[in-house]
Amino acid sequence: MEKIERKYSAFMNFLRTPTPTLIGIYIVMLVLFTLASRNFLTIQNLKGIFNNFAVFGILSAGVTIVMIGGGFDLAIGSTAGLAGIVSAVLLMKGIEVPTPVVFLVAIAIGCSVGLINGLIITKVGINPIITTLGTLAVIRGVCYFWADLNPRILNVFIQNLGRIYVGNVFPITTIYIIAAFVILSLILKFTRFGRDLFTIGGNENLARLAGIHVDRIKIISYVISGFFCSIAGLILISQLGSGRPEYGTGAELEVLTIVVLGGVVVGGGKGNYLGVFIALVIIQTISNGMVLLDVPVYIRMVVKGALLVLVISIDALRNRKNLQLY
Amino acid sequence: MDEIESATSTAVKKQKTRFNNTVILFIILAVMFALFSYIGRPFFFSRLNLIPMLNNLSFIGIVAAVLTMVMISGEIDFSVGGNIGLTACLTALLLERGLPGWLVVIIALCGGLLMGAFNGMLVTVVGVNSIMATIGTMFIWRGIGYTLSNGESILAMNPVIDFIGRGFIFRVIPFPIILLVVFFLLTYVIMNQSKWGRRIYAIGANPIASFLSGINVKRVKFINFLFCGFTASLGGLILTSLSAVGMPQHGQGLELVIVSSIILGGTALGGGKGQILGTLAGVLILSILYNFLTIMNIYYFYIQIVQGTVLILVVSTYEIRQAMARRRI
Repeated sequence: MEKIERKYSAFMNFLRTPTPTLIGIYIVMLVLFTLASRNFLTIQNLKGIFNNFAVFGILSAGVTIVMIGGGFDLAIGSTAGLAGIVSAVLLMKGIEVPTPVVFLVAIAIGCSVGLINGLIITKVGINPIITTLGTLAVIRGVCYFWADLNPRILNVFIQNLGRIYVGNVFPITTIYIIAAFVILSLILKFTRFGRDLFTIGGNENLARLAGIHVDRIKIISYVISGFFCSIAGLILISQLGSGRPEYGTGAELEVLTIVVLGGVVVGGGKGNYLGVFIALVIIQTISNGMVLLDVPVYIRMVVKGALLVLVISIDALRNRKNLQLY
Repeated sequence: MDEIESATSTAVKKQKTRFNNTVILFIILAVMFALFSYIGRPFFFSRLNLIPMLNNLSFIGIVAAVLTMVMISGEIDFSVGGNIGLTACLTALLLERGLPGWLVVIIALCGGLLMGAFNGMLVTVVGVNSIMATIGTMFIWRGIGYTLSNGESILAMNPVIDFIGRGFIFRVIPFPIILLVVFFLLTYVIMNQSKWGRRIYAIGANPIASFLSGINVKRVKFINFLFCGFTASLGGLILTSLSAVGMPQHGQGLELVIVSSIILGGTALGGGKGQILGTLAGVLILSILYNFLTIMNIYYFYIQIVQGTVLILVVSTYEIRQAMARRRI
């Protein structure tokens, strides 16, 4: 395996990843949508596309880490919703907690959810999908504790968090995403944590035998995912201007599609942030294109589900080592 | 010789413990039932509560029975809830168009078979992990349901459809409960008395060995998914009939309840282990619990919290017991 990879240059290795295909798909889509709708290739629309994917982008930053380590996180939408509504309640008229405290509380919520997920998954040893499916329901239920309050966001700092455009064109949320992706890429590439994570995703038993603290690293990966959930929750309430218990419902489907489309292998061990970023833009462009082309709301749901199935099928076919007989 | 003997004795012991687990579950069920009847008196133990509860439990039960087969073979189907939603919308829509009831039933069940076939294809031919595949198809089915009904509930009134959920046999026994009993008998016989069931157990325990010993693993799995799709759409028909309305939200979140009751019943997530009767006990216990919470006037959202916690707790106890058993060896 190592020998084969060394035979090719860095550029050839890049060509062997799914990223070039993604860029190709994106260019084709751009042309198609530009031809189909006059409003597509306007600054106004592109600004919208880039600002709209803030929440999914931040969420996929964390999920990518979890999935590279062979894990899975379905609770992201609920966690973002919980962090969002709690922050919104703390910012309500009459309570008005100082902004840094709100940030701390939100981050504490996200990280503790991640910690709980990680502990259940590693120490008890439950399948991550089942675990996070359970915590998804629990956290969403907890969100409804504040269902009657309907808080509005009047705090200017939080309002600006997800709404400012740098130089009136470039959304600040995109900068967050790019910053997060770059930092996480560097962590994956150059730290021991990153290398260990890839090893665990590739072969957990091997990693354990090699002396890697598998459980600890997996728990950290879930905590990172929880951290990004809380940031996403803050951006959610900032962009929507209020706190509602149902915010973030169904985000897991979208984020899963983005991450798998971006070339992160289900089961772990492979993935890079460049692919995830391009996949993010592609998925958001498809959503935007469907709005511009007046596709009914419910058909968009079908398209999104179909997209996920298509993407994971391609993933399965690509990673099939030999003919599967059983 | 000694090894063989010890192996057989452990096998016998295992058989006994498995039997015991199911019995324990039924004892828990009886205790819970008595307790709830006492705390929730006079509402819980009354005809007005128990018959609807059993009716509501019936479609969960039949889907759980067949999903147990799928899970014993080592796969899972999360799309049953979406399947139920789509079937409900399809049924109501076709009835609205004026099609005869029996034809609608046949079309709905064929739709279920198609959905099952699609899942089966994804898992066996394409080779997608069944959890991922069926989470995707779950959204597709529900999305198609929303598209068909345009997000609205459609009235579904027809003698045939009414009978499926609200009919009585001999004027006393509700028809869905007959269906429940029939499905549990059928799956019990398949899993415990037939060659097919032995194959399913073998595949769940070790797919490679089963393949090498000449079992067509893919075919068995595919037919399991077909059966599961069929049953889920039958569940959709029952739910449509019970509520007299077809709406795309039907069966939302059902996968949580069904999967937790199956695992509570002692089926292993990885396959190879499980008992149909255990699933029956699991379904009864969880349905009684959720019914009791509803009777005690607890918000649906808080029941959702309980459902999620129950899922995690049930799987945790299972995993911990597995780990303890491994340590004993």
